Amino acid sequence: MSDTPSHVAVKFKMPKWVRGPQDFVGGIALMAIAAFALWASSDLQGMHGFSFGAGTVPRMFSVLLLGLGAAVTAMGLLTDGEHITVYAWRGPLFVSLAIISFAVTIRPLGLVISAFASFIISALGTPETKWKETIIVGICLTIGCSLLFPYALGLPLQLFPRFLVQ
Amino acid sequence: MADLFSNLALGFGVALTPINLLLCLIGALVGTLVGVLPGIGTIATVAMLLPITFGLPPVGALIMLAGIYYGAQYGGSTTSILVNIPGEAASVVTALDGHAMAKQGRAGAALGMAAIGSFIAGTVSVILLTLLSPMLTTVALRFGPPENFAVILLGFIASVFMIQGSAAKGFMVMALGVLVACVGMDPVVGKERFTFGNVDLTNGFDLVPVVIGLFGVSEILLNIERPEVRAAIGDRIKGLLPSLDDWRRSLMPILRGTFLGFGLGILPGGSPVSASFASYAVERRRAADPSRFGKGAIEGVAGPESANNSAVAGGMIPLLSLGLPSNAVTALLLGALVIHDITPGPLLAAQRPDVFWGVIASMYIGNVMLLVLNLPLIGLWVQLLRVPYRILFPIILLLSIVGAWGTNKNVFDIWVMVGFGAIGYVLRKLDYELAPFIFAMVLAPQLEQALRQSLVMSKSNPMIFLERPISAALIALAALLVVALFCGYRPRARYAESSL
Repeated sequence: MSDTPSHVAVKFKMPKWVRGPQDFVGGIALMAIAAFALWASSDLQGMHGFSFGAGTVPRMFSVLLLGLGAAVTAMGLLTDGEHITVYAWRGPLFVSLAIISFAVTIRPLGLVISAFASFIISALGTPETKWKETIIVGICLTIGCSLLFPYALGLPLQLFPRFLVQ
Repeated sequence: MADLFSNLALGFGVALTPINLLLCLIGALVGTLVGVLPGIGTIATVAMLLPITFGLPPVGALIMLAGIYYGAQYGGSTTSILVNIPGEAASVVTALDGHAMAKQGRAGAALGMAAIGSFIAGTVSVILLTLLSPMLTTVALRFGPPENFAVILLGFIASVFMIQGSAAKGFMVMALGVLVACVGMDPVVGKERFTFGNVDLTNGFDLVPVVIGLFGVSEILLNIERPEVRAAIGDRIKGLLPSLDDWRRSLMPILRGTFLGFGLGILPGGSPVSASFASYAVERRRAADPSRFGKGAIEGVAGPESANNSAVAGGMIPLLSLGLPSNAVTALLLGALVIHDITPGPLLAAQRPDVFWGVIASMYIGNVMLLVLNLPLIGLWVQLLRVPYRILFPIILLLSIVGAWGTNKNVFDIWVMVGFGAIGYVLRKLDYELAPFIFAMVLAPQLEQALRQSLVMSKSNPMIFLERPISAALIALAALLVVALFCGYRPRARYAESSL
């Protein structure tokens, strides 16, 4: 498959002194995570000689991550490397929205509405969607889920909105 | 030997019950489906289906999940050969010669040989699994915490050794996996780590939403941002039976692939993917006329397809006898066992012979099912390829969400899934391979426990790891791998990690 983006995408411009933007950005991001983990584990008991405390293993691996992150970042500065690939906004936005909408609506509204809604929202993630077929498949899948999970798999789920059931 | 037969009889007794037969069939079919369809990987599927297996008895759960794993190896070859789109990373090399054969009108022979080779490899390697597992179990029974630590450490490093990209990035992903596993209770003294007083974090991240996010969601995101490549599917396939000449050429590659794949499967870090690449390289090197490769040499289909199947059975050995997965999928199977309150390890065969032998027996049955079902069903699988991704991905996504949520009915798990979906997407865009992450996340608690127990045993003397011969040897091997990694000695093969 080709890497050319199909839709409007966000492009990052890097200053000239960054020769391998992909390594540079990735290295910095992971160093930030490592630094955060070091900070968050600072209140845990550490080593006494060679006997380990609760904080030892998290700190060991944070330091490993920090060190390697620094090395990769340095590589990004010193050697020519890959450019940042283009990020599409549409897919990530609607797919995340679909998942989040399920998280928010499942308790009050039940499986039927939540599932159908998140199916439709996720379909917005690509311009290739054809609405007629999407809605038909969405309805079939929602019915399938409402039968599969509670009946075939014995997971009791709330299917309909709370205010209708009570 | 008599012991072996009575054990196998027990196993078949378990595997042949109607419910387990059905689960084996479902696993094999779902696996084939996953193998056929590009855009759903084995890792994400096994994670998605984990919650579904919670209601099942542990044997049934494992039978089904293992079925997905080896079924996917059968299915992957179909799309590689017919449309040059590997549905599974392990079938990438199959596309080289398989698709060339299809273009010459010999798709049937390629498909047939792939299925037959898979079957032979599957069966031979399950026999080897039956013979070797009990032996390894005996050795492993003598393992104490230092040996466990050493063997897990070796697994960690090997999981990085086997990825294709940069080793430094592999270690970073591994470290990230360990840190994520640290969230929650400390496994030794029960102290809270990285919880920030949040109740949901006290028990740590659940494996299922993390893996679904990291692999399933990120896969969808990567796929929908590029225009769909429509599969050009040719005419009806005829003549699935290979000719006598095909047989003559394929027999030795199948056998070599079987043993090679099996050996690579046992090794920590070995996977069906590396097995298929290794087999292809071997066959090309041994060929009288290497220039035929890439232009439709049946050896290039038969060898790798056999190798990737036997690697699955090989990978079950360390899982069942040591409790040590050799790759990301078996790491998930380990996670499934732990969720079912079964601790895999050397005691498994003695304590739960029904699980141990039941799963092994089901693999014999599953391979037969796949051979019988797959050849007639190839037409159906090809039809499925016509389903466009714009329809497929909302279905996969919805099933993932319900799967992640249905486990505990905890909305927090859905947030975890979104979060790790984003992390996975960004990391994969930045060219980080994620397989070492799962491995580290599943095994980090065991690694930490073994490490700390060993140091308690030795009264905080780290020399304990070097004084005991087995652990010293394993650590030396691990050190050797690290040196090899940074000196650039690595089996390298180019393939799209995106279809893993």
